[in-house]
Amino acid sequence: MGQDVDAIQNARGRASKDDSLPLVSVQNVSLGYDSEPILQNVDLTIYPGDLIGLAGPNGSGKTTLFRAILGLLPILNGALSRNCPLSNFGYVPQSAALDAQFPLSTAEVVEMGAYGRVRPYEFFPAAEKRQIGEVLEQVGLRHLAAKPFFSLSGGQKQRILIARALMVKPKIMILDEPLSGVDEDSRKSISELLIQLTRLDGLAIFFSSHDIPMVRRVADRLLRVDKGKIWWEKKEMELDP
Amino acid sequence: MSTFLEILSPSYLLFPALLGTAVLGLVCPLIGSYLILRRTVFLGLTLPQIAAAGVSFTFWLQQTGFLPQWQQGERGIGMIGSLLFTFLGMGLLGYLEQRRKGIAEGRLATAYALAGALTILFIVFNPAGQIEVLNLLKGEVIGLSKGDLRLLAAVFGLVLVGLVLFRREFLLSSFDRDLAFLLKGRQIIWDVLLYLLAGVSIAFGVILAGPLLLFGFLVLPALAARPLVNSMSSFLWLSSLLGLVMAVFGFYSSVRLDLPLGPTDVALGCCLIFLAYALSRISPRRALGLIVLSSVALWTYGCGTTKATAPLPEAKALNNETLWLAKVKNSTGLSLLLPGTNPLRSLAEMAGKISSDYRQSVMDLLRDDLRRELEQRGFRVTLPEQTDARFSAFPVEPASAGRLAREGKLSGLIFVSEILRWEADSRQFVRVSADFKLIRTSDGSVVWERRIQRPVPTPSATNLGQAYTDSVKEVVRDLFAQ
Repeated sequence: MGQDVDAIQNARGRASKDDSLPLVSVQNVSLGYDSEPILQNVDLTIYPGDLIGLAGPNGSGKTTLFRAILGLLPILNGALSRNCPLSNFGYVPQSAALDAQFPLSTAEVVEMGAYGRVRPYEFFPAAEKRQIGEVLEQVGLRHLAAKPFFSLSGGQKQRILIARALMVKPKIMILDEPLSGVDEDSRKSISELLIQLTRLDGLAIFFSSHDIPMVRRVADRLLRVDKGKIWWEKKEMELDP
Repeated sequence: MSTFLEILSPSYLLFPALLGTAVLGLVCPLIGSYLILRRTVFLGLTLPQIAAAGVSFTFWLQQTGFLPQWQQGERGIGMIGSLLFTFLGMGLLGYLEQRRKGIAEGRLATAYALAGALTILFIVFNPAGQIEVLNLLKGEVIGLSKGDLRLLAAVFGLVLVGLVLFRREFLLSSFDRDLAFLLKGRQIIWDVLLYLLAGVSIAFGVILAGPLLLFGFLVLPALAARPLVNSMSSFLWLSSLLGLVMAVFGFYSSVRLDLPLGPTDVALGCCLIFLAYALSRISPRRALGLIVLSSVALWTYGCGTTKATAPLPEAKALNNETLWLAKVKNSTGLSLLLPGTNPLRSLAEMAGKISSDYRQSVMDLLRDDLRRELEQRGFRVTLPEQTDARFSAFPVEPASAGRLAREGKLSGLIFVSEILRWEADSRQFVRVSADFKLIRTSDGSVVWERRIQRPVPTPSATNLGQAYTDSVKEVVRDLFAQ
């Protein structure tokens, strides 16, 4: 990882957990499909400003945990609570999971993030249109607004999906493998963006990757998952002296 | 022959049918766009077939006496069956999808095959109404009445409003179901609403336009638009625009070339797809040039090549020469006999006791009307068989007709006619294609000629015989119009 990331990491302030409610609290939860548990005894609390990495090999259950937190998958047992509505969750799926058959422009993809606030019979408000430009600016891709989304590179697509999640005006962002299938420059810029969002905007970010060294470098706290087991490798944010 | 501008005139005879096709062309591609993007395009083929099975089922029930004869007519009862089967089919397919029974394509293919088989079986069970049911399933949009058009406009207008109002929800639930859940809650409501709109359109569209035309409008314009666009909004409006182009030019080609509307529209839609993929491979400037050239060619095809029809010369101008009125040649392959009016003779004919010669044919009616009209115009009309009983129908090819007349020692002018098509599509129209020529017997030169090729309205006809009689009168009136 480049020096820029380290610089931002070092400049990061301490996120106070004592005076705020957790956004998500997961206690002793088991997750799986058709009553078959994939992950058991999951304990996790996400506070505003957290930057938590979830590292593990492909197929270890990272996406399953995300889907449970987002309410897309029922938990098998345990307790899962959210202190903000689901519409405050910004979700960034893997871009490969989206259907390239759709003829969507980049701006149209970002616009979707505002659909929760716009009623069916309403025209798309001018303020929301301005917001599209702003979030595209934030991810550094305003010039690509009119381009077809699926013609972009892997890194550009990931940043556009982050812009879409920002369009939701989230309190917490969940990113599924945001750094997979992207080139080194894009990995660097996406990592910087994630750190910036927690540092400057106070967003909670929970992201996954199978690249464990990279997650160690970017995340404040690191949750490891493998072979049905989940454990904290770095539970508390380590501050520089 | 109709020009392109003629068919766009509200006073044009088939204007309601053109409007109906245009409405289908505008709205159906919007539904088809979502079906294609959701990769459920086969649903667009299966549901019309299920609707068709519903139509033939209700007719069969009516024939067996389980359903009463309905005053609102055949289309009303057909629509009930169409709607019922469409929604039952959608419900069953949706249930199986939820239960994940088998693979999606397999379920749709099975439903399509079953619906196709049931449609045919119910028609076979119902011999009394076979022709009517087949006509309804063919869905000749050309027979649309003003009432049908109002119904079509109301139903498809509502569908259009629904598609526009909920476009964002439909897009989100089609593209990213997870985000749709986070922002809008359970997305099943949007799935149900979208398929409800599709189901209503298909159920009504099948009965008013037929399964083939409906499926063509659902998928072909959207498939043609796909390679040309980079955004969802342009995809939707271009699909709709191409649907309109397909409807209007398909309709015009159908009228002008005397082709059935459904297959003509579908063929045109397929041409649009090839053209779209060709355009997508060349630079935008060249594509624009090609579009302009194509538009000019279409405009020329539509407006520029129509020949003005000359009126029949006056008898005096032809020196009051004898006019031989030849028997009308029937090249349709059909007998074109009018139904008998005497039940006893009909029974005797069915039993093979007497031949059908006692019945008048369209050719007889046409010749009688031609003779009357020509005599009113001052021609000295004589029938060739009065000089030689061996004379039958003359060929319309001028040299052959002239030679035959000279061999039979007929001097002067000979009026020859040939029926290429005389077909009652519904009780409201008879599709006519017939050639008429006035030939000088001495050298086989053509003095005057005319082709009548158009659907002839027979609004007051209550049976086939009346439709034939009314259409003959209309054709003769048209033939001698100044």
